[in-house]
Amino acid sequence: MRRTILVILAALVAVVALGSAVIATSGDSSTVTRPRLERSLTTTFANVYAEQARIQGRTGVTPASLHAQAMCDKAGAENKDVGPGGDWNCLMSWTDPEVPMPPEGYGKFELNVHSNDCYTAAGPSKLTGFLTMTDARGRTVTNPAFEFDGCFDPHSSNTPTGVVFPSLLNVASTVVTPDAHGRAGLQVTCGSGDQGCAGSVAVSAGDTKLGTIPFRLAEESTATLPLPAAVPAGTSEVTFSVRVDTGAGPPKPVTLPVQGP
Amino acid sequence: MSALTAQPAPTGSRSVPRRRPGLLAPLRWEVRKLRAQVRAKAVLIGALVLPVIVVVVIHGQSRPPKDTLFGRFATVNGFALALLVLGFAAQWVLPLLTAVVAGDVFASEDQHGTWKTVLTRSTSRGQLFWAKTLTASGFAVLVLAVLAASTIVSSLLIVGHQPLIGLSGQTIPAGEALRLVAASWASMLPAMLGFTCLAILLSVWSRNPAVGIAAPVVIGMVMQLVGALGGVEAIRPFLLTTPFEAWHGFFADPHFTGPLTEGLITSAVWCAISLGAAYVMLRRRDITGG
Repeated sequence: MRRTILVILAALVAVVALGSAVIATSGDSSTVTRPRLERSLTTTFANVYAEQARIQGRTGVTPASLHAQAMCDKAGAENKDVGPGGDWNCLMSWTDPEVPMPPEGYGKFELNVHSNDCYTAAGPSKLTGFLTMTDARGRTVTNPAFEFDGCFDPHSSNTPTGVVFPSLLNVASTVVTPDAHGRAGLQVTCGSGDQGCAGSVAVSAGDTKLGTIPFRLAEESTATLPLPAAVPAGTSEVTFSVRVDTGAGPPKPVTLPVQGP
Repeated sequence: MSALTAQPAPTGSRSVPRRRPGLLAPLRWEVRKLRAQVRAKAVLIGALVLPVIVVVVIHGQSRPPKDTLFGRFATVNGFALALLVLGFAAQWVLPLLTAVVAGDVFASEDQHGTWKTVLTRSTSRGQLFWAKTLTASGFAVLVLAVLAASTIVSSLLIVGHQPLIGLSGQTIPAGEALRLVAASWASMLPAMLGFTCLAILLSVWSRNPAVGIAAPVVIGMVMQLVGALGGVEAIRPFLLTTPFEAWHGFFADPHFTGPLTEGLITSAVWCAISLGAAYVMLRRRDITGG
């Protein structure tokens, strides 16, 4: 019995020692990297999107005609884009005359990447459709582009693809709620993208200009921008015109109703 | 024993020239013992029947098991279903199937106290070791073939053979898909034989069939868990469960076989070390008691 326990202990110690030695010497050796993911995702997406078009009975959409390009990012600006996880985001653009890209020029895909170099990607429903779709003969079938799986070669090229997309600034607030002194804030979010978001927001209440607020946000962050002046009593709507120097923003001014204090 | 073998062969009974029996005689005995074993027969029948039940049950689901590779199309595509079952089998079923025989083949002699009996037959410990190892490996090949054939045939008959969407999104025609699915099942063999060798080592070392059968399955599941962790991926190439995922490369476009080659090396190293240790243990063991 004593001998058995000793052998088991020795084996455990050996395994742990070997494991830690391997990990200590290898460092960041994950095969899941940004360039591999970007290359694999565009290939896989182009194939399933062309298959979707074929099911719909459309002609002329081929994987090559889509010119898909992607930029992937793992968990915000400060993290290295390496390793498995459910926090990978990929921005992808492609060319389909019947489905134009939104103003920012890309759709956002959420990826769950596993350590075995396989991933599941879910696209934006506005661009890729829902779980089921109608085929050319009117039957309801599974949409191959709604969610799809892919695997990439762990030995494939790891040179950067050089594809970058701007972060998208969004106004998150749906109402303006001034306090007793008329002070209010505007909540904005900056999505995944290359450099984060920077620019200014011009604020006006009816014809009265309330001034501009400069902003600078890191990618994948939110901020509450304080309005430069008090909202005059009796104002029913406040309009925000976003001008972005870095990143992409809402092309049209955003008008929000005022909710009384 | 040496006194016995030194005696001249009894004349008149047979005219075969007298020699020490080779590997064939103990191998024949081991196979005969295996064929008489209820457990081994039950495992083979299970490998034949259970996939059919699994295929029927999954085919009847209204929602496909999407969180597993190829699960998305498993209810509508026979090839996808065969690959879903493959992914599940690799988690613990394949190590268990081989360990049922390999984990027992040495330890059962301890359990029944029959080491002295088998070694008094004129066969050396080395020959006996290789006979038992070959029997266990042969059983692993057989049970994998039965499981693969049963899964593929039942999937194709029950669900159908539609073109398959591969792991680069490409559409794979049915004929090509069948070839790739069969190759994927075959690619399980190296790692499965690795588990066979591991089970033999545990069987020789523990002298206890329960340990020989259960421990490889537990070790396999721990390796699976460690291999799925982020941050410790450097250890993945050394795990015996990583080769179980090498088939993913067959379904990408272009195909990649790097993981398959690495998996072959990993499995061979695990097998060589396990068998080597088991052989040394058996040779040095003092078998004088019952």
